[in-house]
Amino acid sequence: MKNKILIIEDDAVLRQELSLLLENAGYETLCLTDFHDVSGQMKRSRAELVLLDINLPEMNGEMILQDFRKTHNTPVIMLTSRNTELDELLSMSYGADDYITKPYHPTILLLRISAVLKRMAKFSNFRNYHQLQADLTKGTLKNGDAEQILTKNEMIIFQLLLDHQGEIVTRDELMTALWDNDEFVNDNALSVNISRLRSKLTECGLPNAIETRKKQGYLLR
Amino acid sequence: MKFSEFFKEKIPVYAVECSVWLLMLMFLSAFHVSIQLMIIFSILTGISEIGLTLWEFFRKKIYYCELLHHTEELKQKYLVSEIMEEPEFLEGKIFYSVLKQTSRAMTEEISAYRRENAEFREFIELWVHEVKLPISSLQLMLHNHPNEITAQAQEQLRKVNDYTDTVLYYARSEIAEKDYLIKPISLKKIVGSVLRKNREDLILHEISLHVHDLEKEVNTDGKWIEYILTQLISNSLKYTDKEKEIPEISIYAEETSDTVKLVFRDNGIGISENDLPYIFEKSFTGTNGHTSAKSTGMGLYITERLCRKLGHQISCRSEVGKFTEFQILFQKNDFFSVAKK
Repeated sequence: MKNKILIIEDDAVLRQELSLLLENAGYETLCLTDFHDVSGQMKRSRAELVLLDINLPEMNGEMILQDFRKTHNTPVIMLTSRNTELDELLSMSYGADDYITKPYHPTILLLRISAVLKRMAKFSNFRNYHQLQADLTKGTLKNGDAEQILTKNEMIIFQLLLDHQGEIVTRDELMTALWDNDEFVNDNALSVNISRLRSKLTECGLPNAIETRKKQGYLLR
Repeated sequence: MKFSEFFKEKIPVYAVECSVWLLMLMFLSAFHVSIQLMIIFSILTGISEIGLTLWEFFRKKIYYCELLHHTEELKQKYLVSEIMEEPEFLEGKIFYSVLKQTSRAMTEEISAYRRENAEFREFIELWVHEVKLPISSLQLMLHNHPNEITAQAQEQLRKVNDYTDTVLYYARSEIAEKDYLIKPISLKKIVGSVLRKNREDLILHEISLHVHDLEKEVNTDGKWIEYILTQLISNSLKYTDKEKEIPEISIYAEETSDTVKLVFRDNGIGISENDLPYIFEKSFTGTNGHTSAKSTGMGLYITERLCRKLGHQISCRSEVGKFTEFQILFQKNDFFSVAKK
């Protein structure tokens, strides 16, 4: 099922590119082009997440959010080119789930969106992968009684690959995910982590689980 | 105001008075007035003269001493006419009114400049926010339509973004207006966010990062400190040492009972002893700036200004060919800890 995201941004080019970015990432998008009664339209849209610009022609995004929050608790991510501490504090106090300043890094934006959506869906701590069971909080891979302990980095990589099972995940995306979790690794360290994860998966009986696609990235089968 | 100085000024007056007194005595003796009467006359004039002098001296001394004292104590000396009362003697009155007028004219002049400055800054802020829109659009376009020049174009765009930020923070650091918001912020969160924003550059330079002991809160403005740290990073990246196998950057914090010290250390080419005292000065480029990378000499200047406005102290230690280390000292604000309890 595709998550539906509502984009509220008055700059046409930006809106179009944002929508393209989200569609490429597998979301369904809905763009607002009429800025009358924005919060009413937000309420009627039934979107699962809203990207809201602060500087809108009719009404300030913060005011819209305040009104929207009276009745709805759909996650809202504020997008803005205003970057003072006060703006951020205001948005968060009106009930924004995240606050991202322009120009936003596309991969980080996607990560934040998926993080907010995950938080809403209350993902379970256990994920299944073939015959393995991954415990995300304990950081372990279980195959019956055999258990492999993954490091934090390996778990982040495994989780991202698992989220996109069957698709190519680029090194840049893996890097972004690691850095977003305060793991400031460099290129070499990423390769080392991936080869370690590979050997751990091999020991669990899945020797060729991670496929390398030259110049593109990795793919979890 | 010393009595001797006051007396010196009065000498011509006393000289005239003395000669008049001598003439008087001559007249009186010509009219055969008795000596006793002449002595009594002299004593009376003498006493009244001394009395009048002392009265005038103390009246002025009290007023002017107060004026001098206030001027010395005041931080904004131009406000002295606001707190002084009008004197009772004539010359003082004239001076007082002139002083009042000049200070009023000055205030008007200053507030006109202030207004212009504020308008200019508002324009800069607005312009930067506007220019961020096309930058965002371009960044998304590059990401959505990848081709062979994407990586280079992204790097150029990042530079454009950094330069616009420099303009914004220069305006913010120069113009005396409080638009920052100080609140307790986790150093870990700030450093993480800065590193993430500069990830591509750090990876491009193959920097090995050592980030530790940052689980501490400091009172600061999150956005400003992010800009400050971004400057330190871009500085380090400009001056990495090609001789060293692994370029490194360490970021960590040390806590004492009333301060938190954030240490930012790299193993770059270092700064020579001669340049070190001037690195925070406006437009200073130094030997490094001339020999290697392009340098405007504004980055560290703005960094220091912002730190000073936020009440943090920034300092730098370095050894050529070995390391450069910046330290930012955050005071633990007593008010905050009291308010928390």
